[in-house]
Formats: sequence, C-alpha cells, structure tokens
Amino acid sequence: MAQQQSQSNSTSSESLRYHSSSDAHDEALSANGELLPPWQQLLARIEELGVHGLADRTDKIRRILRDDGAIYSAGGRTSVWGLDPLPIVLSANQWREIELGLIERAQLLDFVLKDLYGNQEIIRRGLVPPEVIYNHPGFIRACHHTHLPGQHHLILYAADLVRDPSGQICVLSDRTQAPSGTGYALENRLVMQRVFPLLFRDSGIRMMRGFFNSLRNQMVRLAPDKNLRNGEGPRIVILTPGAYSETFFEHAFLANYLGYPLVQGKDLTVRKGHVWMKTLDGLSRVDVILRRVDDSYCDPVELRGDSQLGVPGLLEVVRAGNVSVANPLGSGILEAGALMKYLPAISEHFFGKSLRLPNAPTYWCGEEDDRHYVINHLKQLRIKPAHGHFDSHAIYGNSLSEGELNELSLKIQKNPNSYVAQQYVQPATGPCWRNNSLQPRPFALRTFAVADDQGYQVMPGGLTRAAANARDQLISNQLGAVSKDTWVELPEESDGATAQSSAPLLVNRTVDSSLPSRVVENLFWVGRYAERSDLALRLLRTVFMQLNGANQLPPEAERLLLYSVTQLTMTYPGFTEAKEDLFDNPEKELMSVVLDHKRMGSVSGSLRAMLRSSAEVREMLSSDTQRIMNDIDDEIEQLHITLRTGMSSAPEEALDPLVTRLLALGGLFNDSMFRGMSWHFLEIGRGIEKIYQLATLMRSLLVSVCTQDESEAVCVESILSTTEGLTTFRRRFRNDASLYNVLATLMLDRSNPRSLIYQLEQLQRYITALPKTNTSAPESSREERALIEAITSLQLADLGRLVEVSGENKAVRGQLDQLLVRMQELMDVMASAISDVYFDHAAGPQQLVQNPWTID
Amino acid sequence: MLYKIRHITSYQYNTPVSLAYNNACLLPRNTEYQSCLDHSLSITPKATTVAKRKDYFGNNTFNFCLEEPHKELKVDIQSTVRIADVRLIDMNLDIGNSWEYALELLRNAQDEATLRAREFTMDSTIIRANDELAKYAAESFTPNRPLLSAARDLTHRIFTDFAYDPGFTTVSTPLADVLKHRRGVCQDFAHLAIGCLRSLGFACRYVSGYLETLPPPGKEKLVGSDASHAWFSIYSPGEGWFEFDPTNDNMPSKQHITTAWGRDYSDVAPLKGVIFEGGGSQTLSVSVDVARLEG
Repeated sequence: MAQQQSQSNSTSSESLRYHSSSDAHDEALSANGELLPPWQQLLARIEELGVHGLADRTDKIRRILRDDGAIYSAGGRTSVWGLDPLPIVLSANQWREIELGLIERAQLLDFVLKDLYGNQEIIRRGLVPPEVIYNHPGFIRACHHTHLPGQHHLILYAADLVRDPSGQICVLSDRTQAPSGTGYALENRLVMQRVFPLLFRDSGIRMMRGFFNSLRNQMVRLAPDKNLRNGEGPRIVILTPGAYSETFFEHAFLANYLGYPLVQGKDLTVRKGHVWMKTLDGLSRVDVILRRVDDSYCDPVELRGDSQLGVPGLLEVVRAGNVSVANPLGSGILEAGALMKYLPAISEHFFGKSLRLPNAPTYWCGEEDDRHYVINHLKQLRIKPAHGHFDSHAIYGNSLSEGELNELSLKIQKNPNSYVAQQYVQPATGPCWRNNSLQPRPFALRTFAVADDQGYQVMPGGLTRAAANARDQLISNQLGAVSKDTWVELPEESDGATAQSSAPLLVNRTVDSSLPSRVVENLFWVGRYAERSDLALRLLRTVFMQLNGANQLPPEAERLLLYSVTQLTMTYPGFTEAKEDLFDNPEKELMSVVLDHKRMGSVSGSLRAMLRSSAEVREMLSSDTQRIMNDIDDEIEQLHITLRTGMSSAPEEALDPLVTRLLALGGLFNDSMFRGMSWHFLEIGRGIEKIYQLATLMRSLLVSVCTQDESEAVCVESILSTTEGLTTFRRRFRNDASLYNVLATLMLDRSNPRSLIYQLEQLQRYITALPKTNTSAPESSREERALIEAITSLQLADLGRLVEVSGENKAVRGQLDQLLVRMQELMDVMASAISDVYFDHAAGPQQLVQNPWTID
Repeated sequence: MLYKIRHITSYQYNTPVSLAYNNACLLPRNTEYQSCLDHSLSITPKATTVAKRKDYFGNNTFNFCLEEPHKELKVDIQSTVRIADVRLIDMNLDIGNSWEYALELLRNAQDEATLRAREFTMDSTIIRANDELAKYAAESFTPNRPLLSAARDLTHRIFTDFAYDPGFTTVSTPLADVLKHRRGVCQDFAHLAIGCLRSLGFACRYVSGYLETLPPPGKEKLVGSDASHAWFSIYSPGEGWFEFDPTNDNMPSKQHITTAWGRDYSDVAPLKGVIFEGGGSQTLSVSVDVARLEG
C-alpha cells in the first residue's frame, strides 16, 4: 500500500511538472524555464492535489457547468462550456499595465464613436481614409447624431489580447457592439470558487463584483432624466435574440445576476414615443436596454427590414432621447478591421500620445504601400475582409499553398479596399490540464471595460481561452478551445478590503410582477407538456406491464388499453384503426409513440417541447430545475439505447427514470418556486393538462362496457395504477372494486391530488390570483365561468347514474362520456381564454413596401 | 421661380393594420439654389408621434407612428419652394477639370469636400460597380475630355439608347436588366448613370424630386398629373457637384425641384416602414401637383 502510494506520487509529480517545449513565450515560465512568482504558489498547490485530485476537480467543474446549463452554441452545435482547472495568473504589476492600456483604448474608441456619428473630424482631417468607414456595414447612417446621457457612448468595451513572443501584450481585436464574455467569465469564477475554495481563500485574488456593480450603476445613469419624474429607479432590460443565439446562456445568466428582465424584440413595443415591455399588467415603460442583438437587427423600420429580432420604431425613440441603448446602435463600426491601423495616429493627433496597449500591426490594402507589403508578406499575415463584422473569415497566410497565395494576391489587387491584414502574432502559451498532465497551450484573453462617471472600470481578469492543440493558430470554441479563469493578484501594499470594495449601488427598479407575456406563456406550456408527458409515460408503463404480465390479457382489455394509448397521446390513427396486424404486434407502434419525437404527441416529442419551452425561460428556472431538465434531455437519449434492444427486456423499467425525473420536476415546482405570476401560469398549465388527460383516460378505459368482468378489472386496475391510486384504492375498497368507487376516487375524492375535483379547485385558486384585465366588468371572466361550470357539473354528478348503461347504445356509458367530453371542452375554453387575455398575439412586423434589396 | 407642390401618398389595406411605424423622405430640402419656404404635413389617421429631423445627408425626413387600427394611410404634403433665378444659364461644359485629372484629385486631394465626397464613389445598397457599366461609360470618356462634358455625353447617350418604359421595371429591377433590355424609368436611368460613373471611380449622388410639366399647348393642366422624378449629380474636385437628368437629356435647372439626395434610391425612399397585422393586399396611390406660382 505504501509502495503504491509513493509510485502514484512520482508519476503524479512528473505529469504535474510544467515545462514548455515550444519557442513561444510562456506565461508561467521565465526565459530559462523557471516558474515565475505569481505561478509558484498555484502550481505548488496543484501538485499537492495530485493527478487524481486534479482529475476529480476537472470532473466536478464539468458537472457544475452542465448543471448550470452553461452552454455555448456555434456552427449549429451546442456544447457544454469548457473550463480548464488551471487559471491564468497575472501579477498586480502586469495587470496595472493592461488595465491602463485598456482604459486608454476605451477612451480613444469612445472618442472615435462620437466623432463618426457627429462631425467626422477623423475623416475631414484626413486621418482615416473615407473608404474605411463609409464602406463598412457597421457604419449606420441612420444613427447619425444620436446621443446617450453622460459623457460616454461606448459603454461596454472588450479587447482580445495576446502576449507576443517578445512578451509584449497586444490587441488582436476590439469588441464594441454587444461584447460577449462577461457572463462566462463570471460563471468561470463562480465555478472555480466552488471547486477550489481553499485555493481562493489563500491566493489573494481580485474579485469581479466591482466590475458588475459599475455596470449596474452605469445602466442606471443611462436612464433618460425626463423618464424619471416620480423618484422611481429606471427599468432596465436585457435584449436577447432568443434561446437560439450562441451565447444565450450568458444572456440569461446576466439577467439573473444583474436582476434585469430578459426580453426578446417581440416582448417590447414602441408606443407614444417610448419603449414598453408587454407584461401581464399591461405595458411597462423601459428606460434602458442592454442589448445583445447586433445593431443592424434592432429596428426593422430604419435598419435591416427583414429582422424579426428587433423592436420596430426603436431608433426613433433613441433619437428622441426617450430610451437609452447600450452599446448604442451603430457602435459596431469600431470593429472595422482597417480602423485599427489608424488608431495610433488618431491618438497622436487628438491626445498627443501613443497607445500604451498597441494592436498587432495592421495593414489596409486600400493604401498603396500597405498593399505592396501585404502581397509580399502574405505568409506572415492574417488576412481579413475589411468590411465584415467578424474575424471568423480570417485567412492565415502560412496555411495557404502557392496557388492559393497567388489567387489571394490577385483578389487583393482587384479589390484592394476590401482587405485588411494583420501581422500574425504567435500567442504566448500557458499551462493547461490536458490528457492528465500540464501542457503548454496558446491562449488569448478577452478583457472588459465599462464606462462610469469618471472614466472606465476594467474587470480584473477576464475570459481566457486556450487552444485545443499546441500548434493551433486560431483559438476558437469551434475548434475545441477551452476557457480559463483569469486571476489578478491583489497589489501587495493594499489590504484586501479596500482594494475589493466597490461603489455603492444606484437604485434601479427591482424585478416586479412585470414579466414579459412571453415568459408566462412559455411557463404555461412547460406545465402542460410536463403533465402530458408524465401521464403518457405512466400509461405506457402500465400498458407494457399488462402486456408482459404473467397472465394472458383478455383480448377485449388489451384492445382497450392500446386504444387508450392512442387517445391519450393523440398519435392518430394508431390503435384507433381496425387493423388486426397492428393489434397482433403492437410493439412497433408503442415504440414509435415513445421514441419518435417527430411524431406529434409522442412521449419524446412532448418532452422535447417541454425542454424547448423551458430553454426560452431558463432565467426563470432554478439551477436544480435546470439540472433536472438536463437529466431529462439525457434520459431521452438513453431511452433510445435501452429500448432499441426490443421489447424483451422489460420496457416498463426503461421508462422509470423519466417518470422519476418528472416527479422530481413537479416537486421542485411545488417546493422551490416563488408563488409569483410565473408559478401560477406554470401550475395553471399543469392543472388544465391533468384534468384534460384524466378525462381522456377515463373516456377510453371506463366508458366502454366490457363483456367480461375480467376485462373491466384490467381497465380499472390500469387506470388506477396509471394515476398512482391503486394502492390506496385497494386499501380503502378492499372488497369492492366497483366502478362506482373508482369514479368516486377519480372524480370526487378531495384527498386524491389527481382527482378532477381536487385539480379543478386548485385551478380556481390560481385563476383567482391572476391580475384582472378588466376590473370594471360585472360578469365573471370566460375562464372563471368555464371553471365554475366544470366544478358544478362534478358536484351535481350522480355517480350511480354515470355508472349505468342507459339510452340507445348499450355498449357505452353515455352519461359518463357526456360529462367527460364536457370537461375536456371546458379545459379547451380555459386554455384559449387565458391565452387570449394574457399571452401576446402580435404577429411579426411586415414591411410596408417590400424591400427588394439585400443589405450585407 | 416659385412652386407650390402637393404630394399625396395613400395606402389602402384589405384588412385593418393595427400599428404602423414609418419613415418618410418627402419634404423638399434646401440646396444651393433652392429654399423650401414652408410646408404642411397631414397624416391620416392621426399619428401618435411625428418627429421631423435632418437625416445623415441633410434631407428633411420624418418618422411617424400610427397606433390605431386603420384601413387607409394617407400622407398629404404641401410645400412652397423657391428656386433661384441664377441657376444654370447655359453652362459651358467644355472647360474645367479633365476627367483624368478629376479622378486623380478625387483619389488624392485631402480637402474636406473631396474627402467627404468619396462616400459617393462606393458601392451602395442598390448600385454595384462592375465592368459592364464601366464599359458602357467608357465611350464618353475620351482622353482629356472635361469631366462635365463626358458626363453630359453619357447623359445624352442614356437618353438616346434607352427607352422610357414605365411597365418594364419596378423598384427592384437590377441594373443589369436595365442595361440588357435598354429600358426603364427615371429612377433606373439615374441609377444606371451613377453605376457607370462609379464604375470609373467618380463620386455620384442620386437626387429625388419633381419636375414641372407643362400641358400640351392650348390644354389645361390636369390636377395630379405630375410625378416624382429622379436624376443624378456628379462631383468634380474643386468645382463642386453638377446635376444631370438622363430621362430628359438635360441639366436640371429651374424646373427641377429637389426633395432629397443620397447614395441611391434606398437612402431617400419616399415612404418606408413596417406594419403589424392586417395589410393583406394593399393598394398604393400617389398624386403629385407642381404648380408654378410666379416666375
């Protein structure tokens, strides 16, 4: 044992010893390969953890990120956010240089932004060639002369930095439009704090909270003065393109962290010169929009007409100064690749100083000298379109063949204005945890600054991304890059407390009942789909059990059971057809009802619909709920594998995990959600669905009169076990499993939480709690009337007569069927009444004149 | 010359539109030769907000918002415009910058006006430079010819080579089709000329406005018979902007009233916006009257 221990320690220390083999600068190592001071303590602690310790922590990180729903989507693929257990560490002095450089750069870009949408002195004075700006799609003429309160227009700024082989930090790109990454950086920090609590306690690292407080305060300051007459704080929202955007996790995460409603374009509307959020209580005025939608998509009236992500009329409200958008519309122009070339000259001209934080040498082929240089040095350059928004189309000259190089230089010569080139900077490497050892990987750091009343506040640290392979030139999530937390050491002379303190928070309006209507609509559907899947799963489990049971089922009962599956899931025609071979071999159809998610009503289809609705409102769900949603997603996949082996292996058991997850989900809804409007809509959705589905189930299993008592017994047993009532029922009615007692249990028993009466009375409570849209109307609302009728019809029901077979058709219990049909109709009425009153039905905007031109 | 202009635009919808947000470029701007003395603006149904401003190009534009359901939108604009009598009396186009020299100045001169004019050398939403356009234009650009003379010649050639055919094109007909089929309307001819000149590297703007039309001799002028019009303007460094009308083979003078200018039609579209619900099939009708008050 002792021997084993020491062996594992020796391999452990070997793979945890960090050395860099590449010729690039390494962040952690001095020129002669020794660990630099800020890294010594960290790597010593890592060594103490050992290989297994670190591997465990890495697993833990992955688990937490997954449970938090930290995902990133790119190129049509969604993956869990990757976080390396090793942070990048920067000393206080190293950081001070970066910080000052960023502030200076932010101020310069802010100046350029104001100038370009104002007097355009940088063009008039010949500092920037007109083509660099006027040809770029990010220059939005409609934004000319728009203003924000306060001295800054560039509110949130991000810069991608690398350390070059000489050890100098340089800027690869500036992000000025809707910079992403702050939320991921914060999530990284929170996860690291959970996984390495001791390391944090001992390391003396600067915290991020101050940055976010500055952001909050700046959002409050941006509110138009004239909007705030009655002393209330401003209403601030985050505008997202929606659940399908690459960084939606971050939007939802920031919305929760900052306490702002997360809205989509369709949640907002322009009326009477202001922007309003459509809420349950009507329209609530919005004062500040923190946007994550690209600027050209923000207003189909004046910007891209084909955008469905924006708010029609927004720009005019901005112009009137009645709402502030951050970053302001049009700020994307600062991302123009060629502009970088001219920043040093602009800085010299207007501020008389050179930039402390330079960008990588940049060339614009519209300038003759640059063009010659670029064509002769293609191999050392990254070539980018001058008029695109993103770096993603960058070409690395050294990856091209001779033929491709020739082709590229011809293209450049034909259209020189359209090309920008940047010196390829080989990024410094830093230690990463790969294949159970520490390995050097090139990394880039995205840093963030936010404007405040003085200047700019910089987030201490930022979002580091490290390439998947040592030789990767491009550090991209799509190529498997992982992120890293970024630690900035506290300055030695400061005592921790003062350095970490931050400005007091200005007041914004707290999140009130004013949820966007879209949010409650999605929650309503989460509730409906959850219950729809739940009962379908339970019924299928029962049916599988009955079919595979020891006793041969009476054919009559088997037919009814299969028929009930089709009825409950509405996967017609299914077992409603008189196809004998289908009844002889029902497995295939049953599998399809479970697995075929493209089929409306199938179990996996309903579950996926539930997951989609919940993804739209992820900011409303607790992390536990999020975890269960993830688990359900995994279980659906698992189900395919388990069930593919065929019916032989007890399919009813394969369904158990999902039933359990849904049960847990229901429990969370009950136990951990605040009883706000969102909860009420969720519960109303659940209630309506439960009642509807139970009525369906009773209609399919109890309305037909069986010719054999044995068949009726199977039906009764099945419906009771599906609705979890079998055990209680047996205990209560040991000797009398009469239909009368069954109906009493399912319909009128107030102690049975699945009974119709119980659910209807619950619904009544929730409906009463909804905000009244028309308080002056004397009559009850449509949904209230439907409920009263449903409850009354149950209360008036004469069970004895419902059980009877009366009327013409001796094969069915006509009165029972009538009552249940009415129950279903009333639930439909309720659902549509609630939808009409509370959900948003505005169709998307359409162009007055069909705009025939494509805009890049 | 003093004109009174009335321009009525109306949209009829099959089903009611619940909300509408619009941007209009319909009010005449001031220019070197033209001043808009007054204007009135009436929108039905009543707009909840109407905001007038100068746009990026200095045009008078306004945004308005309709928040009540409506089946008809009507924008009625009346303006009084004076055009200076000194405007363009028989310019001699055979003197001035040669086109080669103008091009060189345009590329290299660092004066503000020229730097700003370079905005109009570039591709815009509707107009993309290409070799075919350059080829068509080249015939007018003989060595050392003054720029304005060459531009006048191009204007004349477009007038001669192309048929005025209102049925052939729509706002979305690409320039390539206009060039191929040699037909179009004023807007197409203006775009075509601009495309040709930009393909050679010159700075050109699209100008929208009105043209006073005179009834046939001995007939009364019909109300609403006028139309909005379009032509182009070219920049010669050190000399300024000069306008040409390829539809009428002339240089705009006292009968051309300017509404707005931009890089192409899309910058100065008279009315654009979005509507919510309703709409269905819609009918547009436009009526324009240009009445001479004096001069």
